[in-house]
Parts: sequence; structure tokens; C-alpha cells
Amino acid sequence: MSWLIWRTYRAQAVATGAVLAAFAALVIITGMQMASQWHSAVVTCTASHSCGNLSSTLFLGSRTVGFLVIMTLGVPAVLGMLCGAPLVAQEVEAGTSQFAWTQSITRRRWLAVKAGWLLLAAVCVCGVVSGLVTWWSGPNNALQANAFAPGRFDIMGIVPVGYAVFAMALGIAAGALLRRTLPAVGLTLAGFIAVRFVVFGWVRPHLMSAVTTYFPLNVGFTPAGSFWQLAAGYVGADGQPITIPQSTNGQVLGTDAGGIPVSSLPAPCQALAGSGNAPFTRASEHAVLACAQAHHIRAFLTYQPAGRYWAFQGIETGIFVLLAAALLAVAFAAVTRRDA
Amino acid sequence: MTWLVWRQYRWQAAIAALLLAVFAAVVIATGLQMAAQWHSMLPACTRSSPCSATSASLGSQVGHDLVVLSLAVPVILGFLWGAPVVAHELETGTVNFAWAQSITKTRWLLVKAGWLLLAAAVWGGAVGALVTWWSGPRNAFYSEQFQPNYFDQQGIVPIGYAVFATALGIAAGALTRRTLVAIAVTIGGFIGVRLLISQTLRAHYMAAVTAYYNPLGYYSPPGGAWVLSTGVVDKYGHVFSGGSAPQVNGVPVTAIPASCRGLLFRDLNTLSRGQVHQAVSCMQASGFRGFTTYQPASHYWPFQGIETGIYLALAAALLAVTVLVIRHRDA
Repeated sequence: MSWLIWRTYRAQAVATGAVLAAFAALVIITGMQMASQWHSAVVTCTASHSCGNLSSTLFLGSRTVGFLVIMTLGVPAVLGMLCGAPLVAQEVEAGTSQFAWTQSITRRRWLAVKAGWLLLAAVCVCGVVSGLVTWWSGPNNALQANAFAPGRFDIMGIVPVGYAVFAMALGIAAGALLRRTLPAVGLTLAGFIAVRFVVFGWVRPHLMSAVTTYFPLNVGFTPAGSFWQLAAGYVGADGQPITIPQSTNGQVLGTDAGGIPVSSLPAPCQALAGSGNAPFTRASEHAVLACAQAHHIRAFLTYQPAGRYWAFQGIETGIFVLLAAALLAVAFAAVTRRDA
Repeated sequence: MTWLVWRQYRWQAAIAALLLAVFAAVVIATGLQMAAQWHSMLPACTRSSPCSATSASLGSQVGHDLVVLSLAVPVILGFLWGAPVVAHELETGTVNFAWAQSITKTRWLLVKAGWLLLAAAVWGGAVGALVTWWSGPRNAFYSEQFQPNYFDQQGIVPIGYAVFATALGIAAGALTRRTLVAIAVTIGGFIGVRLLISQTLRAHYMAAVTAYYNPLGYYSPPGGAWVLSTGVVDKYGHVFSGGSAPQVNGVPVTAIPASCRGLLFRDLNTLSRGQVHQAVSCMQASGFRGFTTYQPASHYWPFQGIETGIYLALAAALLAVTVLVIRHRDA
């Protein structure tokens, strides 16, 4: 059975290997360049004590390879469409399943071995791509501290492997249910995008309860490392967030969380700010600040700390692997219950 | 023949129309919200504190993510509509029947491909139009419609991409004769061509404009321009733009003449206006000039036209290849 699978897929395996090798060559060459650029920048800025503003002056890497790296977001979907969806559907469509399912081997075993090998291949491909991307992004993560940010989180670490397993299982299940390759390809694409979108937008921020830190208006606050900011703003004495109108014109107090417009402060503080849109003097700014603090107005930042990065990676991978297991169960049920 | 095409594709057309309607609903809902936000900001913007100076951010994350996803619409049309046109019929053997009718192979292909390319243009154009409308407030606020990626999802270029992707799918299917291989070729080919043209060709459609100014200054071209490069150039034409060496406004300290170094080797913020002036004229006397090379905002629509034209020409070439392949192939 394993030999049969190798014979069926060897051309695809060779083509995938070639594409992967080309991608690896590109990523490794530009990655080494970028690493040495980053290294020399750190050495020079350490010598001149100016590493603080490095992230605003240094651009790392090439734009083209940067785009390719972002496009690895699509690799799991492509695997699911090209490898998962045809797994059952193509054989049913071409009629080869009639031959395969009348051999000494059971259908369940036929599907288990076939799906097993291809899932393993998908895990390997996505693992290699994700490993390359994670290594390539090392200097950028150190520079921008954005490994936890949406979009970056999704192409590094172990989550791409979870996505690949899910996309493959979705393709196999869609093919087993629809019995036609092209509709299965379409359903795999749509389903993958929809599930990723929902998990990304509505589930991921709540995987662990976020940390909210309150801090005074006159001092900034930046959590250590690659944290993930969920919300920022200001609260009044009652602990309720202060609603800030869209048109934030006139004087703005503070710079953290976008600054708070004077018009949103209590009336006594507004009076201290002077009239109209006149800019702050040092004295009036000081007075308004003291007044706002006397009214217990504080800034807040809601975020997921950098230390939770790997926990989030693990949980999200787990969610997608569980979804994949459920879809595979559906595929097995569909294949075993169906006449050849 | 047209009736046959309609019978074959009515389900796909219905599903595609449904998806387009869902996309339109989300884009219009978030777009109206954003337009309202923009209108509430406008009255407060004055000459002394323009809208661009406020720190507000426009639009919701969901709308923005969906609009970015629209970059993939052409390639999806290409591999779901284009790739199977010839390949699927060859694979299932239905061509044997189709090609044995009174109609010629070329006519069979041209009618089928014609309707599908038209449908791809309509769907690509509809998505592009929705995204263009949605981006209106953002374009006014951030002037970003000429920047890479934003340029690619607005205006008329999405039509060019959609027609090209579909033609690529049809040609790949005719050449490889297998649907799945054609799908893979379409995805790879589309990404490759798009990257090649947007990264290397696009900047050179029309001659860029270069503005020169004082070497310690900064120049931002009027709204909506696409800045290609900035830096400082010396009198021999050497370009300095950033790098990791100790520098003043991008110029490595070692390249600055000794006479000016004394003036610059203090924190620029602590210099008096006169000293800054002195430093600037010293650098200018040594032949240093700051430069910004950009494509002005007025080039936006010519660029859209040129890029769409390139993709339509590529699509025509691919269609010609397909006709040749089909003609010389036995059923």
C-alpha cells in the first residue's frame, strides 16, 4: 500500500521538493545577508549608544522576499486544495476507486494509509517552510518585536503545521463528501479562509485572559518584548473607559494610547487649558496634567504578554489539529458507508 | 454554444454571485461606517491642524483584512474557472464529443474562453470597484492609493489581473492536459508574474521625478505620490541612503568634509537656527544635495492604464497559445 502511494505521488513529490528547494535557497541567501546586516547595525549602534531608535532607521531584507515570506500564509490552503481535495474525489471521479476498493485491503485501511502518508508529507512541507520563515524573521523579530502581531504569528513557529493538517483534512473530507474534485477544491479554499478568519479575529485574542495595566498620564508604559496589544485608552475615576470622539482636534494631553483630547477631560481641567485651540504652554500643560491626575484619570493598555507566545502557538495548533481529527472522522464515515 | 456554456457554468455563476454578494455586504457595511467616521472628522480639520495630523485610525480591522484578501480574487478565478476549461474536458473525455460536433475546435474554445474571460473581468471589476469605493476615505486621509499593494487592489488593475489569471489557467490546462497540474501552474505563474511586474517593472512605466533640496532637509512630495528612493547625493554622484555606519541624515560621517564636521558634530536639536544654516550651507558648498525620487500623484491613472494594458496583452498572448495548442492536438 505504501509502495502504491509512492508510485502515485512520486511526480508530485519531486515537483514539491524542487519548489521547496528554490524557496529555501532564496530564503537562506537573503536571510544570511539580513543577519549580517543586523549584526553590524547592532555593533555600530552599541558603540554609539543609539540602539533605541534602530527600529525607525533600519530596514532589513529585500521587499520581494518579504512578500514571498508573507505569501507562505497560503501554503496550507494550497496543500489542502492540490493534495487533500483530490485524495478521494479524484479516484471516485476517475473510477479508480472501484478497482482500489475491491482489493484484499479494506477501504478503511486504504484511506488510513493514504491519508496518513499525505498528512505526514504536508506536515513536513509546512514544517520546513515555517522553520525557514522563522529563522529568516529572527532579525526582524528582534528589531520590530512583532512576532506576536497578527499576520506574523500565523507564519512562524508551529501554527503553520496545524493549519496544514487542518487544510489537508478539510480537503479530504470535502472530497469524500462531494465526490468531485473541483467543487472539493473550492470548498477547501472557502472553508479554510473562513475558519482561519474566525479563529484569527474572534478566538485568538481570548485564548488566555488578557492583561490590563493602568498607568499615570505622565509616564509611558511599554511591556517587555514582543507583546500583542489588544486595546489602549483612558479610564476615569469610576474605572470606566473615557469615550474619545473621532475628531480629536485641539490640544491633546499625553502621547500614549493616542493621547487624550482636552475636550474629553472634566470641565475644571478644560478651563485650565486656556481658550480655543491655542497650543499648550509648559505651565498650562503642567496644570492640566495635575488636574487630570487629581480626577484619577489614568491610561490603560490591554495586551497579551510576550511570555505567552508559545502557549498561544500551542493552543492554536491544538485547535486546528482537533478540527482536523473531526474532519478526518467525517471522511472515514463517508468513505466506509458509500458504495464504490 | 453560448447556451451550452451557460448550462455548464450556471451553478458556478450562482455560487460566485452569492460570494460576491456576501463580500459586497461586508465591504459596504464597514465602508459606510468608515465614511461616517471620516465625515465626523472633517469639520474639525483646519489649515493649522490638518486631518492628517490627528492620530485617529480609519476603518475596522475586519474590513481591512477582507480588502487585503481581495488581492487573491484574480488567482482564485484563474484556477477555479480558467484551469478546468480545457483540462477537465480532456481528462473526462467530453472533448471527444464536443470536438466531433459541427462546430470547429477553435470556435468551441473561443466562445467558452470569451464568456469566462468576460465573467472574470466582471467579477474582478466588481471586487475592484467595491474596494476602491471602500478605500475612498483612507485615500483622502493617508494618500496611499499609489503605494504597492494598495495600487494593486483599486482602480482598473484588478480587471487586468483577473483576465490574465483566467487566461493563464486556460493555457496551462491546454498545455498540461491535467486539471490539478494546471491549478498548480496557475497559482505559481500568477504569483511569479505579479511579483516580477510589481517589484521590478512598475517603477519604470514613466520617467520618475527627482527633487533636490538641502542635504539636512526632508521633502515630502505633494499628496498621493509614490516615493521610490530618498537620500543624499554628493558632487560626484555617489548616493548615500541610510546604512548602519554613524551618519548625519544618511551621509556617513567619514564622507562629510572635515570643515563641516565641526559644525555637525553636535546634537542637531541643540544647534541654534544660525548654526544649522551654517552647517547646511557648508554641506551645500561641498556639493551635497538631498534628493527624493518619486512618481507624482498625476501618474496614478496612466500607471493603472499601463499595468492593465500589460496584463491584457499577456492574456491575449496566452489565449493565442491556447488556440495553437488546441488546433494541433487530436481529440
